Amino acid sequence: MVSPLQHKLWRDIARHRAQFIAITITMFLGVTIFGATYDSFRNLEASYSSTATEYHFANLTVHGGDVNGVVQEAATIPAVDSVEVRTVADIPFQVGDVKLLGRIVGVPASGQPTVNELKVVRGSYLDPADPNGVLVEQHMADHFNLAIGDTVDVLSGGSWTQVTVRGVVSSPEYIWPARSRQEIITSPDNFGVIFPSADLAATLAPQPNNEAVFYYTGGNPDAQVSDQLTAKAYQLGATDIYTRAEQPSNAGLSEDLKGFEEMAVFFPMMFLLAAGMAAYVMISRLVHSQRPHIGVFVANGFTRGQVLRHYLGYGLVPGLIGSIPGAVAGILLARGITRLYTSMLAVPVTLVQFYPTTLLGAIAFGLVASLLAALAPALVASRVQPAAAMRGETPSGGGRLSILERLIPPLRRMPVSWRMAVRGVGRNPRRTTYTIIGVVLSLMLVLVSWGMIDTINHLMNRQFVEIQREDATVYFTQSVSTAEVTALQDVPGVAQAEPALTLGASLAAGNQHYETSLFVLENNTQMHRFPTVNGDWIGLPDQGLVVGKAVEGLLDVKVGDELTVTATGGITFQESIAAFVDEPFGTMAYIARDRADALTGTQLPATSALVSYAPGADSAQLRQTLTNRPEIAAFEDAKALYSTMQQYMVLFYAFVGVMLVFGAAMAFALIFNAMSVNIAERTREVATLLAVGTDRRHISRYITTENLLVVTMGIPIGLVVGYFASKAAMSSFSSDLFDFSLYMKPTTFLWAALAMVVVAFVSQWPGLRAIRRLNIPKIVKERSA
Amino acid sequence: MTIKLTGVWKTFGEGHTAVDALRNIDLVSPQGEFTVILGPSGSGKTTLLNLVGAIDESTKGSIEVDGVELENLDVDGQVKYRRESVGFIFQFFNLIPTLTAAENVELVADLTMSDGADRTVEVLEQVGLGDRMHHFPSQLSGGEQQRVAIARALVKRPSILLCDEPTGELDFETGRMILGLLKRVSTEQGQTVLLVTHNAAIGDIADRVLRLRSGEIVADGRNETPLDAGALTW
Repeated sequence: MVSPLQHKLWRDIARHRAQFIAITITMFLGVTIFGATYDSFRNLEASYSSTATEYHFANLTVHGGDVNGVVQEAATIPAVDSVEVRTVADIPFQVGDVKLLGRIVGVPASGQPTVNELKVVRGSYLDPADPNGVLVEQHMADHFNLAIGDTVDVLSGGSWTQVTVRGVVSSPEYIWPARSRQEIITSPDNFGVIFPSADLAATLAPQPNNEAVFYYTGGNPDAQVSDQLTAKAYQLGATDIYTRAEQPSNAGLSEDLKGFEEMAVFFPMMFLLAAGMAAYVMISRLVHSQRPHIGVFVANGFTRGQVLRHYLGYGLVPGLIGSIPGAVAGILLARGITRLYTSMLAVPVTLVQFYPTTLLGAIAFGLVASLLAALAPALVASRVQPAAAMRGETPSGGGRLSILERLIPPLRRMPVSWRMAVRGVGRNPRRTTYTIIGVVLSLMLVLVSWGMIDTINHLMNRQFVEIQREDATVYFTQSVSTAEVTALQDVPGVAQAEPALTLGASLAAGNQHYETSLFVLENNTQMHRFPTVNGDWIGLPDQGLVVGKAVEGLLDVKVGDELTVTATGGITFQESIAAFVDEPFGTMAYIARDRADALTGTQLPATSALVSYAPGADSAQLRQTLTNRPEIAAFEDAKALYSTMQQYMVLFYAFVGVMLVFGAAMAFALIFNAMSVNIAERTREVATLLAVGTDRRHISRYITTENLLVVTMGIPIGLVVGYFASKAAMSSFSSDLFDFSLYMKPTTFLWAALAMVVVAFVSQWPGLRAIRRLNIPKIVKERSA
Repeated sequence: MTIKLTGVWKTFGEGHTAVDALRNIDLVSPQGEFTVILGPSGSGKTTLLNLVGAIDESTKGSIEVDGVELENLDVDGQVKYRRESVGFIFQFFNLIPTLTAAENVELVADLTMSDGADRTVEVLEQVGLGDRMHHFPSQLSGGEQQRVAIARALVKRPSILLCDEPTGELDFETGRMILGLLKRVSTEQGQTVLLVTHNAAIGDIADRVLRLRSGEIVADGRNETPLDAGALTW
């Protein structure tokens, strides 16, 4: 049977339905985002983890040097379950008209490798009877529309070899198609992976059997084993060693997962906080206006516990109505997000599971937030003294000069309606504070999202326009002389061409190692500018290494310290650090060609050229012209990666768009409730003003001024807090792979602030409309408003 | 201003729940007349006041103020009428708590005149609050708050003063002082006053006393020699 108090609860909620609906929706959004992001995170983590186990994803990869020596060492370690020695090489491919620097990874023709197994998505696995048959990684196959039976040309020893597509596969190593830790993001026009048979790979690559991959028992990471094998590998001249966690694709996915995990906490917290505050404001107002009723309850024998529970109910109801469907919606949304994500990335295993803890946790979060919001006003209600309460409502705030008027006495001569608005701000300090916090939270949500866009746009421009000055990199079929590179400048449209050499390299200081790419560039290179950590731009120094700033912390070195460089092709030398550079993408090493020649005692070849176009040159035409030259094996469009990243930005824009809508909804819910309560609390004043002849426009202006003053107070705080929250969010994504130093356009602050003002305007509209419906005769006659 | 009500009805609700708050009221109150309206709760006193003040509309009949029919005024016309012609005094004062006494009065003064601040001082001194004008309502006694409300009603020099139980919240001495003040200033300024009260004794200071019961005028009497408020007792 429903008790009269329950009737009262539901009728009160029905009477204030707009405000309760706003609270419930905010609660629903918070819980939905939590469920969706947290379950997506868990599903993706489980999918990656299952992929790693099912496909024996390597725990350790050793590239270069005497890999067989490392394999022999592994044979003595029981925890090493399986080992594969394979041929891996980055060599040019030609697919149709496109020449790119792809990668071959040799696998056994007779059956799946024991480490890093492949999932055949289309076609069939290799067959020893088809020696020229290859498997193509799914991202590449999809990009070039490669079907079974299509052919790809692969450069080998200066001539092209045609291979045939037997199957399309996905691989745990290339879920995210990264070339290296320095090139986590690649363009499909510049990078693709082919899996030929081990024998074919050995004939195609300059150095066969140059990589070993190790899988430990159960796939469990074992740091001790990894350390032992790594130490041995360095002794034996390895140039690149990485654990599963450091593996480029896996590292990229981990960053992505980290983002999901942070989102799963940050955004829902904001919404639940906002919903909690809106509920607090609303319930406080209810308790305030119902003091005489509470007095009657207590006087008639209701216990304080009953009163407490009754007013907690005002939090519990929106909490339950928002949380339960929110949790269910979040979990359903997570399933869609997971499937979309894994299909886009071609993750071999997709695990979509039901996690009861997420469901219960999401509901619990919503309920705790709403009950906490109701607790303070409910306690106030339970402590009401009946005699005092039944004498009538206490006036809402005594009069006093505002802080502004006390600080700036001339303001006391403002028009009275302005003074009224200014003093209204301080009339209910707690509500004003909560409204300000709401504005701050909303701006935080907006700026954190918008900050990502600004930062990434800025960093892309910095990397691809300010730092990398070349328009394209062309790779030659064989090493070339400087004169042959310079000859490219005769091609119409080419402004400049510089020889370059890129080597996989390990930088070592003491026992610390860092694997990266070493760029050997012209002494006075015009193709690359170097931004130092101090913000200056320098040229490539004649002597010394220029390295990415992450090396400073990773190897614990400073400018002037000496590094040992071990690069592919048996190159080893020692050189001191000339400068640390602040580059957004990757942590590279650079050295001037003359210095590298002197240190290695040989004239290093040029395998590629950095090319810049003349102003107005047709880049598509030039790509075609250069690709058609027989000495050019691969063409890498520097702007293609830029374009690819800009395409990814579309997803970011969608994400930011959603966050802006959510932020606006949150701001609306909170400001709407605060404004509604604000207006409700002074209906008697408004009715009196109307009765004495003030028109509604005048009253609307005064209320709008007061509300906007509160919002305006929150905006600068919100902008500062939002800025620092964005900075923290971006820095949490920073690593040696990416440097996400926050950059925000000044206009972003302006737009965010304007958006908040617009939301404030809109959110008070229902309250202002209510003024038109005021029953003036009734209100001016009442003891309390 | 002369107030003229002809066949005025006010009905709240519809059908079975309809209640006639006023029934066929005919009344003429010439300029400068001080009328006290007496009657029990629910007799229609406040409703009558609200109709004359144009904060409510009659169901039937006509209300003319100086020949202008209030029913014909649009919303802006009603606002203009209230702003320029009517001063309201409420039982619960209805002051804005965040404004000082002077500011409460000045807020209304600014609606109709450019010298609002000077006029505010003048009218507050007139009601005896010259030394309390910068106090906030919470710092004033009930009688002082009602005097601020009277000053607020008088500041724009209205032709009609509508007082709804102005002494209902006050003690005897303060109530008597407020009535004296109302009587004095309305006489000095020639305002037409309609004062609603439960208290029959207050009728003794009026030029005219109306008695309402169940929405009808049941008695309409005149005082040939109204008492001074100081002589009142109840």
